[in-house]
Amino acid sequence: MLEAPFMLRALAELTLLALICGPVSVFVFARRLSFVADALTHTVFPGVVAGFLVSGADGVFGGALVAGLVTAVVLTLLTRGGLLSDDAATAVVLTALFSVGVALVSRRSSYTSDLTAFLFGRLLTVTPGQLVETAVLAVLTLTLVAIGARAWVFRAFDVGGAAAAGYRIARLDLALNLVVALVVVAAVRAVGTILVVALLIVPAAAARMLTDRLIAMAAAGTVLTLLCGYAGLWLSWTASVDHGVRLTSATAVVLALVLAYVLLLPVGLLRRRRPA
Amino acid sequence: MTYAYAEAVLAGALAGLIGVQVVLRRLSYFTMALTHATFPGVVAAAILGVSITLGGALAGVLVACGVAALTRRRGQDAAAATGVIVAAGFAIGVGLVALQDGFSRELSSFLVGSIVTTGRQDVVTTAIVLVLVAGVLSFFGRGLLFTGFDAAGARSAGYRPALYDLLLLITIELVIVTIVPAVGTILALALIVAPAAAARLWSTRLPVVTGLAVTLGMLSGLLGLLLSGLLDIAAGAAITLVAAAFLVTSLTLRRASLTFPLAFRRASLTARRTSLTARRTS
Amino acid sequence: MAEPPSAGPVPAQRHASQPAALRIEAAGFGYRGTTVLRDVELTVGEGQTLALVGPNGAGKSTLIKSVTGLADLVTGSVTVLGRALPKARGLAAYVPQAETLDPDFPVSAADVVLMGRYRRIGWWRPTGRADRDAALAALDRVGLADRARTRFGLLSGGQRQRVLVARAIAAEARLLLLDEPLNGVDATSQERILSALGELTATGTAVVISTHDLAVAARIADQVCVLNGRQWAAGAPREVLTPEVLREAYGNHAVDLPDGRTMLVET
Repeated sequence: MLEAPFMLRALAELTLLALICGPVSVFVFARRLSFVADALTHTVFPGVVAGFLVSGADGVFGGALVAGLVTAVVLTLLTRGGLLSDDAATAVVLTALFSVGVALVSRRSSYTSDLTAFLFGRLLTVTPGQLVETAVLAVLTLTLVAIGARAWVFRAFDVGGAAAAGYRIARLDLALNLVVALVVVAAVRAVGTILVVALLIVPAAAARMLTDRLIAMAAAGTVLTLLCGYAGLWLSWTASVDHGVRLTSATAVVLALVLAYVLLLPVGLLRRRRPA
Repeated sequence: MTYAYAEAVLAGALAGLIGVQVVLRRLSYFTMALTHATFPGVVAAAILGVSITLGGALAGVLVACGVAALTRRRGQDAAAATGVIVAAGFAIGVGLVALQDGFSRELSSFLVGSIVTTGRQDVVTTAIVLVLVAGVLSFFGRGLLFTGFDAAGARSAGYRPALYDLLLLITIELVIVTIVPAVGTILALALIVAPAAAARLWSTRLPVVTGLAVTLGMLSGLLGLLLSGLLDIAAGAAITLVAAAFLVTSLTLRRASLTFPLAFRRASLTARRTSLTARRTS
Repeated sequence: MAEPPSAGPVPAQRHASQPAALRIEAAGFGYRGTTVLRDVELTVGEGQTLALVGPNGAGKSTLIKSVTGLADLVTGSVTVLGRALPKARGLAAYVPQAETLDPDFPVSAADVVLMGRYRRIGWWRPTGRADRDAALAALDRVGLADRARTRFGLLSGGQRQRVLVARAIAAEARLLLLDEPLNGVDATSQERILSALGELTATGTAVVISTHDLAVAARIADQVCVLNGRQWAAGAPREVLTPEVLREAYGNHAVDLPDGRTMLVET
């Protein structure tokens, strides 16, 4: 299947995302940010739609970026405790902003196809330009991760200790949410929301079954994502070419990742049961 | 169209009712996982040709138990497991849809619902479920409150928290299966969480919070549907935005009342005095 | 208000010009504008140990958290090593209760101790050999050098608490804040922790420790502060830990007297 250039580009895009999502998913796991990650993927939608309405296909990236960064700030402020519990606040931000996107797009006639494109992306039509965009964001994200990693781990493990050591907790949280937003923006157009959520949550959760060490989790998460990315592409290729089933490649990759998680679950349970 | 309005109001009431439990127990993400995990059940039911509500409910209960087992342990693993279920539920549903034709339309109606096509049968079903859920919540109310607040204490008082958790999960799942076909997954989550979270800001007493949540839910349904007609936007999105607006307004008023407590206390005192005078004169 | 004790041991390298490790003046502490603890007036010099005692909810944790920046200083001023509070953050090392931390978190004992070095390492520099050595040395000081690679959550409660003390040692801070480090800790770990604290104060580090155990407070502290919503008394242990003061502060609660007896103080 790799003789087709579009498959090669899809694999390159997945490889770049695997490099980012291995490490980033570790922090999503450690800080229990699954819901926030989920929310960010949904709230980028109105940005995508607004960007498209304002300046066509070129505006999509900018719109997504603005929406992602704004949501990261809003979520950080809302989940800092106070009157609303953080899960309820996240749920409402997620649904309300997503609804803005749906409301905007529902005035157009080709409404459902826009929605599906956003949900599943167009992995097989990734352009070299998009690959460059993703690569730039990958470098940026990984640099930020390299700088912030120690502080984020400290904060995730022990807020009190991190605050006493002089870290500004609010700024650390904002920075991590911004990094997650960057990953979402980098990935969402190519692979769609569902796959982004899966990429931000599953690698570390699955890798946690294999190891107790954060660095090993990041590495295992990346390897796992690569394997599942390849397996998913092959699955969707085979399904559509040999069996005529239109399984989108993004869906197939998510299914491969979930399958890996389920297969590793018993490994994790066994490791837990074994005495220290 | 009358059916659509009836359905919107009933769904709002139903969502507000269960939403209080969801908000108090911080089950928002979990509820989202349930809405996504119900999806494959609904699709499978459609493929097999059995009743969608029945298939969804059956799959939903199975999923509710599975989710409960996976997320039993608190902490990082539970949060991650919920996330995996969200992604998995959606992907499996989409995978099943891919086996059929009519892919896009069914998918978007799952996301944002198709309240305009509601029929008499749907309204009757929602009404029955509303009565059922209200019955369950009032009959088991005390146990649900106790186990939710302090599982260890409840256990020593002879309650079985695990059973109550399961009961609550199944009730939430029942609500989801009932309202998702009409209003869609995203809206279902908004309609469950937003009115209850807004109501929670105004009172700490459960009956007051519940009454307020149901009222706000019904209003969101009604006003949202009106708005969607006026502005020509998707009904699900309009209802969500109204529900969110209620929450934002409550939050702003509440913040203000905490920042300037004196002005508000004086206002409420005046109000109370007026109502007292009114009662005396009548 | 009671004066700081004059009888406390004076460390050798103390200079007259150096500021106190911790100075709290006319302070009220709380969360989001609500005061939980008021009228606090304390000075801890270098190498001194201050024990905070009081019933549950007395405000001991709030005081410690305010110095770390997690709770608010509502009125008054707090100075750490001569710097006023908002700017003083990062100068003290904090030891939380081990049981408040997630036992499933994927870090080893050595990883946790290394966190104490993070501020020293900064944002850009990778973790170096010197930092690793310092972390291992700190673990050795609490007797856990052989458990460096064990996952934090697999250690016993007392061992976890010792790891957290080692983290504070590795930070080389001159003020240590310990929030109930002896709660539910086995006897071996308690002795290890107390002797490690003794070694630290001997080199000039100041220690603030909250505890329920009045006998321990009497044994290790130069200064004891009795809290319950406000500061009831502060001074040398034998002046402060008297039945009269305790009865006033605790109301009718069971009290462990410094000589080891437990007595039920009636109102």
